[in-house]
Amino acid sequence: MSDKNDSTKQPGTEDLDLACATPEEEEALLEADPTYLKQRAAVQQHLEQVRLQRSDLPPEVRVGVYICRCGGNISDVVDVERVAKVVGLIPGVVTAKVNTFCCSDPGQQTITSDILEQNLDRVVVASCSPSLHEQTFRGAVSRANMNPYLYEQVNIREQGSWAHRHDPEGATHLAIQMITAAVGKLRYSTPLDQIKLPNHRKALVIGGGIGGMKAAVDMAGRGILVMLVEQSDRLGGRLNERGRVYPSEKMASEFVTELIQNVRANKNIEVLLNSNVTSVNGFIGNFRTVITGPFGPAGATASTDQLVGAIVMATGYRPYVPRDGEFLYREDPCVLTTPEFIQFSQSIDDRTRDMVYRGRTIRSIAFLHCVGSRQLDGVHEPQPDGTLNTYCSRVCCSTILQQALAVRERFPKVRVYDFHRDIRTYGRGEEDYYINASKAGVVFFRFNGEDPIKVERNTKSNGKKSAPLTVTVKDALTWGEELEVPVDMVVLGVGMMPSHIEDLVESIKLSTGEDHFLQEVHPKLRPVEVAVNGVLLAGTAQGPMNIQETLNAAAAAAVKAASMFAKDVVELNPFVAVVDASRCTGEAICVTQCDYEGALKMVEVEVDGRMVQRAEVNAGLCSGCGACVPVCPTRALDVDGWRLDQYNAMVDGLVTEAPSAQCGVPELVHLG
Amino acid sequence: MADVFVPKILVLATEKCAYPGADAVGKAHLEYPSSVYILRVLSPVLFPEDFFLRTYSKGIDGIIIAACGSDCPYHGAYERLAARIDTLTTVMKDGGLDIERIRLTAICTVCIKAFLKEIAQMTDNLIRLGPVDRARAGKLYEESLQRLQSSVNPALLGNHSTSERVSL
Repeated sequence: MSDKNDSTKQPGTEDLDLACATPEEEEALLEADPTYLKQRAAVQQHLEQVRLQRSDLPPEVRVGVYICRCGGNISDVVDVERVAKVVGLIPGVVTAKVNTFCCSDPGQQTITSDILEQNLDRVVVASCSPSLHEQTFRGAVSRANMNPYLYEQVNIREQGSWAHRHDPEGATHLAIQMITAAVGKLRYSTPLDQIKLPNHRKALVIGGGIGGMKAAVDMAGRGILVMLVEQSDRLGGRLNERGRVYPSEKMASEFVTELIQNVRANKNIEVLLNSNVTSVNGFIGNFRTVITGPFGPAGATASTDQLVGAIVMATGYRPYVPRDGEFLYREDPCVLTTPEFIQFSQSIDDRTRDMVYRGRTIRSIAFLHCVGSRQLDGVHEPQPDGTLNTYCSRVCCSTILQQALAVRERFPKVRVYDFHRDIRTYGRGEEDYYINASKAGVVFFRFNGEDPIKVERNTKSNGKKSAPLTVTVKDALTWGEELEVPVDMVVLGVGMMPSHIEDLVESIKLSTGEDHFLQEVHPKLRPVEVAVNGVLLAGTAQGPMNIQETLNAAAAAAVKAASMFAKDVVELNPFVAVVDASRCTGEAICVTQCDYEGALKMVEVEVDGRMVQRAEVNAGLCSGCGACVPVCPTRALDVDGWRLDQYNAMVDGLVTEAPSAQCGVPELVHLG
Repeated sequence: MADVFVPKILVLATEKCAYPGADAVGKAHLEYPSSVYILRVLSPVLFPEDFFLRTYSKGIDGIIIAACGSDCPYHGAYERLAARIDTLTTVMKDGGLDIERIRLTAICTVCIKAFLKEIAQMTDNLIRLGPVDRARAGKLYEESLQRLQSSVNPALLGNHSTSERVSL
């Protein structure tokens, strides 16, 4: 349809009008390089050729526009009848109809029959936010054999009638403009196919703690092959270091052993101990991973390549380690963290009546809450990277109360003091620990975050019996009275921090939150999925969780993986970068802008017997971010479905003075 | 009333954060001017400098890039975007287009107040500045395209045969 000598500009072609430097610049350039003019002529000739070859000039379209009343949600504000009348005048719009519920069966039926009867090749529905019904209508047009990507949804409810309730005239005008923009976009839309790739029905679970084991067992039970990679020499993770766990008071080893047996007995699960995932490439259904471990002869370190379809991140947490000297940690032997205290208390012989630690008889213990959690700016010293752990670690309160209560029950002579900012025993049965600890004589002190407690060596010598440590607190329960509590031992209730998985985060391109834990897509709607499709979260890699919550997350991740493997192929949205080979000159600037390894690369192709470089996109690896698009000097790149000419057309639609129903002059609509 | 200047604002809202954020404003039945146009984008890093300048030349008075900020799901995209907007503001400044007409911000899925604040601020700024100088923006747009085109490397162009183009 483009005519070489057509003097009228085609929409979207103005960016190809030939450019030249200013006369002064030209002179300077010519002086520097005598071949400059020849080169410039070559550039101009190339651009002219490209312009003539453009295949993306807007075709003639037959658009159907459907405007939804949404049962009054929209039509109480927007004059939908007028909208239909006006947008019906936009060139290319064949039909414009109003429907009470476009998403209803009859509503969808109207669209499908119109496509077939009136030979429509583009459809616009102006209704709610695309997050609600874009898929619905893509499905509807597909049923009438129309390509689903030739459909556009216009949001005239959330961003229309609801946001402009007191401006019906404005909301009506806005709806017309937004529909005009959508029709403009559709002129440049091309049919797109979903990207279909093989789905490798095998999952990689990283981390052999309870989260990883639970996910592995659940997936294997659904017939999925699982590779369970654990970096240490045994399964069980952090729970191997724990004794009785709240609220069941069962030994952690009981159910860890059971879970390990289930893992070992399942022929679908392959366990790799002393192993690490060292590299991850690829995408959902097709992750190419490298695992390093003792796979060589005689247990020598070697690497194995594994192709998996899904990855479950069960990398867990690490307990906060206090700085040297923080509450005298590592300066006094009787200042312990909760994990250290649990190990110690498990090591005490059941027959012993006294609590003795490193030769010191313990007659009093102070438990400190929120060590390394809920840190405040200006009060607490930040981590080496400058960040504060501002979050609550959630499990420490119940852990401390459980341990405090256990001490009182087992060693009634030992006095137990609890120093807290707040107590959050949120889970079922956990509040009982607080009540029972109170009843058992644990003494509670409360302090404000701004007035942190101090742990010091006891300098007031009081003979042999004096306690070696003093905890000083400004006690909020006695209206700020400063109290000094002499104790033999201090237990620091340390919180959770994310495991050191920086390399994996980098390799898989995972998002982390401000707290450095892995971040889900949505905390409520998609709680175990991450922005990288095919990667799932199972447990404390995502944030502080107790055992129950970890197992819940792991089970959810397993179900998500199973539903992902229900199909033999992976279908991806076709919104990826595309290269127009007729425009690419092989400058390779785009490659420098791409952060997805392998997504965009230069390949050698033969043109007229000569080998030249051209950009090539791997659709499976491309995220569709479009970082490469604007840097191409010949505009050879675009993101399918979100092309620059589509955006330009939308802007043109927005600023168009809408044709009025009265005058009915379609020429008033300038698309381009 | 016809004389009152109503600024046209284009909001480029990311599909994952700012677009649902704008939806949340409507769901809460809070209001903002109906001359605010919200377009959904995967990532605003897609847009070249000439897109913005062209948009001004078409009569859009202000542009808010409502991105995901540090929650950006695309690796490195937000950093690149910020750098590119820096360049754009330099071009605008040098070309006499007020840089208050462009705003890069992060809006989350529930950032209702932040969204309304950005709209209110931009509206105030634009009322103070008046309508965009379309001719000036048009000139900057042309210049921007010239810069882009003059950056084509003639040496590589030699590799591009005519027959290849015709065959495509």
